[in-house]
Amino acid sequence: MIHHHDVIIIGGGLTGLRAALQIKDAGLDGAVISKVHPLRSHSVTAQGGMNASLGNVEGEGGVKDSWQNHAYDTVKGSDYLADQDAVELMCREAPRTVIELEHMGTVWSRLENGKIAQRPFGGAGFPRTCYAADRTGHNALHTLYENMVGREIPVYEEFYLTSLVIDEGRCVGCTALEIVTGEVHGFQARAVLLATGGFGRIYDRSTNALINTGEGASLALEAGAQLKDMEFVQFHPTTLYGTNILITEGARGEGGILLNKDGERFMEGYAPHTRDLAARDVISRAMEQEIAEGRAYLGGYLYLDLRHLGPDKIKERLPGIRQIAMDFAGVDPIEEKIPVQPGQHYSMGGVDVDMGGATSIPGLYAAGECACISVHGANRLGGNSLLETVVFGRLVADRIIEDVYSINFTEEEPIKTAMINMDIKIGDILGREEGEHFFQIREAMTRTMSQGFGILREKQDMQESLQEIKKLQKQLPRVSLQNSKRELNQALVRFLELEGMLLLSEAVARSAIAREESRGSHFRTDYPERDDINFLKHTLIDLKDDKMHVSYKPVKLGMFEPEERVY
Amino acid sequence: MIKVNPKIKVYRFNHEMESPDYDTFEVEPHPGMTVLSALFQIQEKYDDSLAFRYSCRGAVCGTCAMLINKVPRLACRSQVEDLLKDKVPETVTDENISMAGEDISWNPEEEVLVEPLPHLPVIRDLVVDMELFFQYYRLVEPIFRPAGPDPEKERLMDPGAVKELGVYTNCILCGACHAACPVVGENPEYLGPAALAKLYRFYIDPREAEGDSRLEKGDILNGWWACESYGDCYRVCPRNVPPIVAIRQAINQLNKRK
Repeated sequence: MIHHHDVIIIGGGLTGLRAALQIKDAGLDGAVISKVHPLRSHSVTAQGGMNASLGNVEGEGGVKDSWQNHAYDTVKGSDYLADQDAVELMCREAPRTVIELEHMGTVWSRLENGKIAQRPFGGAGFPRTCYAADRTGHNALHTLYENMVGREIPVYEEFYLTSLVIDEGRCVGCTALEIVTGEVHGFQARAVLLATGGFGRIYDRSTNALINTGEGASLALEAGAQLKDMEFVQFHPTTLYGTNILITEGARGEGGILLNKDGERFMEGYAPHTRDLAARDVISRAMEQEIAEGRAYLGGYLYLDLRHLGPDKIKERLPGIRQIAMDFAGVDPIEEKIPVQPGQHYSMGGVDVDMGGATSIPGLYAAGECACISVHGANRLGGNSLLETVVFGRLVADRIIEDVYSINFTEEEPIKTAMINMDIKIGDILGREEGEHFFQIREAMTRTMSQGFGILREKQDMQESLQEIKKLQKQLPRVSLQNSKRELNQALVRFLELEGMLLLSEAVARSAIAREESRGSHFRTDYPERDDINFLKHTLIDLKDDKMHVSYKPVKLGMFEPEERVY
Repeated sequence: MIKVNPKIKVYRFNHEMESPDYDTFEVEPHPGMTVLSALFQIQEKYDDSLAFRYSCRGAVCGTCAMLINKVPRLACRSQVEDLLKDKVPETVTDENISMAGEDISWNPEEEVLVEPLPHLPVIRDLVVDMELFFQYYRLVEPIFRPAGPDPEKERLMDPGAVKELGVYTNCILCGACHAACPVVGENPEYLGPAALAKLYRFYIDPREAEGDSRLEKGDILNGWWACESYGDCYRVCPRNVPPIVAIRQAINQLNKRK
C-alpha cells in the first residue's frame, strides 16, 4: 500500500511531534511514522530539564542571564566545535520555546512567585535549566502528543523505517515495515524529515531506551547523505550501576556530590571551580580515572550522595530519581548513597544538515538527536538536548513548509520499486534456513564499541575494534532467524536495527581513528591535547561503493574565539 | 541470589492458534534480573518468535505493562527474585486485586507467570491492542484549553497547584489500571481509570478555561459514575497515580452542584 502525505516525519519524539504540529498549522498534510507509540519515544525519559535564559532565577551577585551567556556556555561546553550560528539561533529561541510549551499546556515546576523554576546544571554559568521535577521530557512529550490528538494528525504507529526512496537525486518518500502485519508500506511525500533520535544502543552500557538504534542516520548514510562528528559520543557521569538507567545531572544541580571509595569528593581535584557541576566529559573522565586508579568499588562504580539534601528536597525535586534508585538498585537516596558509573548517553554526531535542517539530499531533512546541526559540538551540555528537539522541530518544519511550496508529487514508480526491493530483502532474511544466532553479533558489537570507543581511546585499540566491527558486518549475511513469519516478528526488526547499527559503529570508529587530538567527549590517550591547528573542523563520513570515506569541513566560529577550557 | 534457575511461564498466542497456550522457559538469573530482561533472554536464546513490547526499560515510558503473577505491572520494574519470593510491590497490598486473565495454575515458588494485559485484545503473545484504551483517552479530549489568549510570558502558577497536578500528569498511560479495574472487565464501555484521571488532570489545571465542562464530560453513565471504588487502579499504578481519588473528587463536585 502506498500512502501520500505532503510531509512524512519519521520519529514520534519531541522533535517529530513539534514538527508535525507546525506542519499541520501551516495547512499541510503531515504524518508521523514511529516504530513505537509516540508516547514511548525516548524523549519521554528525559529528566533534568530544558535550558533557556528566562532569567527567572538570578545568577551569582544578582546578575541576570542572557542568551549570549547561554551561547557562551554552550560553545565552551562543545570544546569550540559547535557551529556558532546554530548555537546563537538555538539560544535566542530558547526562552520562547519554553514559554511556548507552557502555552500548550506543559506543567513546569514553579518558583514561589509563580514563574517557571530554573536550576543550575553542569557547565552552565547561571541557574538556567527549566524543569518539571525530574520528568521534564515526560511532561513535554505528553503535552505535544495531546496537541497532536487535538489536531488529529495521523500517526503510523509501530511502523519501522526500512529505506529512504531517492529518485533523480531527490528524496521522494520512504518504505516502512508495519510491524504487526509484516507488510511493507510505501510513503510518498514532498519532503521527509528524519527525527529518529540517537544510536546509543551500539554501546553496551547506555542510558538510552532499547529502541535507540539510529536507523534514521544509517539509512540516510545509505541513501547518500553525510554523517557528521560521529566520534563525539557523550558518556554521562551518573548512570545507575547495573542497569545504566540515567540519574539526572539535576541531582547534582540540586547539590548532590560524587564520592569515591575513600569517601573523597574527588571532583575537587579535577575541576576545582565547578566540581560536581563541571561539563559531563570532564566528570566522566575523572570517574574513569578514579576507577582505573583503584578508588572505585569492585565492579567499577562510585557513589552519588544526595542524603544531605534531606527528604523534602529529594521528594519534591527528584521524585523520579528516588523511585528509579529504589526500583532498580534497592537504594533509597534519602538514606543511602546511589551507586553510579559513566555510561553512553547521547550522540552528538548525526546526519549533516545546514541551519535549516536540510541534508545534502534535496527533500530530506533531519532534526533533533539524529541530526548534527551542530549545536553540541564535541560535548553537549545538560538541558540543551530537550531544547534542541523543540527549537529545531519547529524551525526545520518552517524550512520544509517554505521548500515544499515548489515541490509536486512525482510518479509512484520509485516508491513501488523500493517496496518490491524491500519485500525481497525481507523475504530473503526470513527464508534463510541455517546460520548463526544474530543476537551474539549484537552483543559482540556493543562490547567492542565500549572497549574501543569509550571514554578513553587509543589508536591500536581502536583499530582492532574497527577490524572486529568489519568482521561482524561480514557475518551478518550469514545469520538466520528462527522465526520466519511476517507478523509481529521482533527478531526481524531487531535484525534490521543491527544492520544499521553496525554501519553506524563503523562511522564512529573511522571518525574517531582519524581525529588525532582530544576534544570534548573524544579523548585520545595517545593525543591528550586539543589541536586547533589541525582539528578545529567537523568530521564528515560518506558511503560510496560500500566504502566509508572521511573528510572534513570548517567549524563556523564568530562570537567566541577558542580558548582553553577550564571548569 | 536465586538458588535454582527460575522459570518463566509465558502466555503464547497468535492468530493461527485456536486458543492460547503457555510455554515455560528456564532462564539463567543475574542480580537484579527483571521480567523484561528474562523475556529478552528467552527471545535471544530460546525462541525468537516471542513477542512483547519494550522501550525505556526504566519504568517511565509505559510500554511494557503486562500481567505478572496475575497483577498488572511493568515488566521492566518487576524483579524475578522478588516475584519468586512472592514479595509483592508495596503498591499492591490488597488481596482483592483482580485475578484477571486466563484461569491457569503456576508454581509461584519456581515460576513467574507472564500474561498479556487483560481487558484488551491480544495481537500476539504479550502484545495487546491498545486502541480501545487510547480511544477513551481521546474521548475525554485531553487537550489544554487555557482561559484567555496566551500572554507574552508564561502563565503564572502556584507551586502548590503544580504539586497537585503533578500527581496526575505523572501518568504514563501504561494501561495497568485499565487492566486491573474490575469494572472495565465487566463493562468494556467504561472509560476506565486512566482516561478519567487524565480528564481530572485538565479539570484541576488552574490555567484552564473549561472548568465545569471537563467535569460534565465525565458526567455520563460510563464516566465518573461507573466507578465502583475498588481502588485497584491506584494499587497497581507504577507511578502512584490515584484515579480513584480523582473520580471520587469529581463525583463530590458534581453532587455539590446538584
